[in-house]
Amino acid sequence: MAAKHTDPIREKLEHFVGKPLGSPEPQVAPDAVNLPMIRHWVDAMDDRNPVYLYEDAAKRTRFGGIVAPPAMLQAWTMGRPKIQGIAERGGSPDDIAFDNPITALDEEGFVATLATNSELEFERYLRPGDVLRSVNILESISTQKKTGLGLGYFITWVTTYTDGNGDVVGRQLFRILKFKPGSGAADA
Amino acid sequence: MSAVRSKHLKEISVGEELPRFDLTVTATVIVAGALASRDFMPAHHDRDFATGQGAPDIFMNILTTNAYVSRFVTDWAGPEAMVRKIAIRLGVPAVPGQTLTFTGTVATATAKEVEIDIKASNEFGDHATGTVTLTVPV
Repeated sequence: MAAKHTDPIREKLEHFVGKPLGSPEPQVAPDAVNLPMIRHWVDAMDDRNPVYLYEDAAKRTRFGGIVAPPAMLQAWTMGRPKIQGIAERGGSPDDIAFDNPITALDEEGFVATLATNSELEFERYLRPGDVLRSVNILESISTQKKTGLGLGYFITWVTTYTDGNGDVVGRQLFRILKFKPGSGAADA
Repeated sequence: MSAVRSKHLKEISVGEELPRFDLTVTATVIVAGALASRDFMPAHHDRDFATGQGAPDIFMNILTTNAYVSRFVTDWAGPEAMVRKIAIRLGVPAVPGQTLTFTGTVATATAKEVEIDIKASNEFGDHATGTVTLTVPV
């Protein structure tokens, strides 16, 4: 049952809660977990943990072989971007539009976005060859809040990542504030 | 690759501070991290786009922040450590020209898990604060 809200904007968002955010289909990783992308990552982040690249060193650890850096979890299922026009789309990697609370709030003037929380959980480290899928479920939308940046709504979703067997390998909780610039503190 | 020493539970004590890590944040650091994480959002590589959105400059994406938080902790704990959770609250942006300083303190240390309270901050204030949960060899 949908909760009743006296705020008509919030009321309009209620039907999104508990549903997939964005595509109703799982995102499928365009590539299996692989060494070239791991190498690119560890070089970019200057992370010299040997378990990510060196089979001999990795074999001597609990992992028993090469594993991907855990923080890469989100990277594997990132959509392939359409570079042309990405700025005009506000950074959206593609132009496939889904009805969602973020664009609904844009239309109400809550155009600014601030990421506030990220919680990554790992059931196991990924290995080369793992093919990931992810599904985003909208967990909650707050009532309208008065924040230092302006009036806004906190939107929280949980992305669940599964492997080729359908087993959960990790999750990410993500929370953003969608706010109306200029509706808050003077220096916002 | 030479063997790197891993910390065992008995070598970790509550209240212990991790060695501080100062990351020199440049445009290259931000762009390298964004592209390695396949994040093509222009705010992470295009200064005009970023300032047009009200940001002071291009800024680090969250995947890169998580990557450095993870690295900060495993550089200390060693290759046997397994990160189970990275929970962060996001604050001010990490921008070129400002050093991002990572500090951490052991909050709990049991056979089940080791929790590290971490903070990454720059001249603006706290960029990320939170907790990393690990398991380490007993």
